[in-house]
Amino acid sequence: MIKQIQAFLISLIIATFLVVTHTTATNLIWLQSINMPVDFQLVIATMATDLVDMNSRGAFPTIALIFVGLLIAFVTARIIAIWSSIKAPYLYALAGGAALLAIVALMPMAFYNLDLIAGARTVAGRAYLVVAGLIAGYYFGSHIQKGDSNEAN
Amino acid sequence: MKLINLPLFFLSLLLGSGLAVSGDQNVKVETEIEILAEGLDHPWSLTFISDEEMLVTELSGNLRRVANGLSDPTPIAGVPEVLFAGQGGLSEILVDPNFADNGFIYLSFSAPDADQPKLNRLNVIQARLEGNVLVDHKTLFQSHPPRRTAAHYGARLAFLVDGTLLITSGDGFNYREQAQALDNHFGKIVRINTDGSIPEDNPFTTTPGALPGIWSYGHRNLQGLVIADDGTVYEHEHGPQGGDELNLVLPGKNYGWPAITYGVDYSGAKISPFTEHPGMEQPLKYWDPSIAPSGMTLYRGDMFPHWQGDLFISALVPGDVRRLKMQDNQVVGEEILFTEFGRIRNIVSAPDGSLILVTDGKDAKLIRVSAKK
Repeated sequence: MIKQIQAFLISLIIATFLVVTHTTATNLIWLQSINMPVDFQLVIATMATDLVDMNSRGAFPTIALIFVGLLIAFVTARIIAIWSSIKAPYLYALAGGAALLAIVALMPMAFYNLDLIAGARTVAGRAYLVVAGLIAGYYFGSHIQKGDSNEAN
Repeated sequence: MKLINLPLFFLSLLLGSGLAVSGDQNVKVETEIEILAEGLDHPWSLTFISDEEMLVTELSGNLRRVANGLSDPTPIAGVPEVLFAGQGGLSEILVDPNFADNGFIYLSFSAPDADQPKLNRLNVIQARLEGNVLVDHKTLFQSHPPRRTAAHYGARLAFLVDGTLLITSGDGFNYREQAQALDNHFGKIVRINTDGSIPEDNPFTTTPGALPGIWSYGHRNLQGLVIADDGTVYEHEHGPQGGDELNLVLPGKNYGWPAITYGVDYSGAKISPFTEHPGMEQPLKYWDPSIAPSGMTLYRGDMFPHWQGDLFISALVPGDVRRLKMQDNQVVGEEILFTEFGRIRNIVSAPDGSLILVTDGKDAKLIRVSAKK
């Protein structure tokens, strides 16, 4: 159980990190495209600021949003796993991707079609965030699998 | 819509008598409050068509007449269908400088796009008020391209001293980067003639790829626009968290959004790490935390001599009015007034020198602020 919680927290951190840094990159790439002076130091500083502020200063902490999404998705995946023969890493990867897809798809419905996560305003941006969910889910599923085999031993 | 009644009027006078202390010179300005109308549905703008008669827009799509403290329960007919969603709906009303002769009024509103009904645009029309009906409608402006969001329309209108019409067009929220491009109307102030044509001396008429109506760019959600007697254009706009701005606007200038900003995104992310950049204008003032500025008037009346030349800005958060003391086009003082009414959607100067506050929401009021007799 402790390993599962640990795996969940790490997958949460992975997803949050990927979502936040994608937002930072989206903003900075555009700024550079209009010849604003974006250098490596600024990228690192902005990324660090966003990692703190997007989880503390915004209207909603990004990590809390992803926490809820992944929790619902992983619990659902665990129930599906009872009947499904899909390997855990792939099942949880799908669940993680679905969680992020739900977040980026449902948020605009609640806010007059507004995308409050700036990185989710394009199809490519949404696809990237879904991939972030896939990666986080894959990590969780892989870890759960290892935990299960350890218990069997 | 309820009609005002006499007991309510006197009660409001009794309760509303107040004292406004001017912060800059400790001058005590005594005011009294009168509720002109209540029960309005999301009022957004109002304009006087005579000394005592005003027209009020409701975001939900009605245009109402309020005269001598009585509001007409029957809305004015002939108002176009609007998209009442999010921040969209029937927005600004402005009377023609020659209204007494030609009866023209100008309305801004959001409406579905004719070809792609899931998308919408900011529209500006001219129409003639004939009795209680709008006739002779003429579309003067439609924002380009259409948008899928129902937010950040701007939608304020004002006449420049040369008789041309300024229109504020917001960034549509999701399209903020477009505010830096000249091939669209997101985050722009647009200048047109009152027949809808483009003035030849607009700043980008010869710029390849630019829309010729654009007068200034790099704005976000412009909700206040006033023109001083000397032609100075003041504009305020909702920023993101901590980036509301008051700007002095000049033609052809870039006001920076979203390349430079003092605010951060609602997600907490830095929209830009830059607050200044060559070729981008600085605001006269910015607010951090945000006040959500929603309307503005330049006080020219005689009722409050001490307030002459000051800018009054209505604010939604936490809900008050900001009096900005101006000197040589700089803000030299700020006073917070009228904190007791909640979110204030707009503020307008009345012909008699009083101020009219428009509260926000579904059951909103018009409140007259006069000098205490």
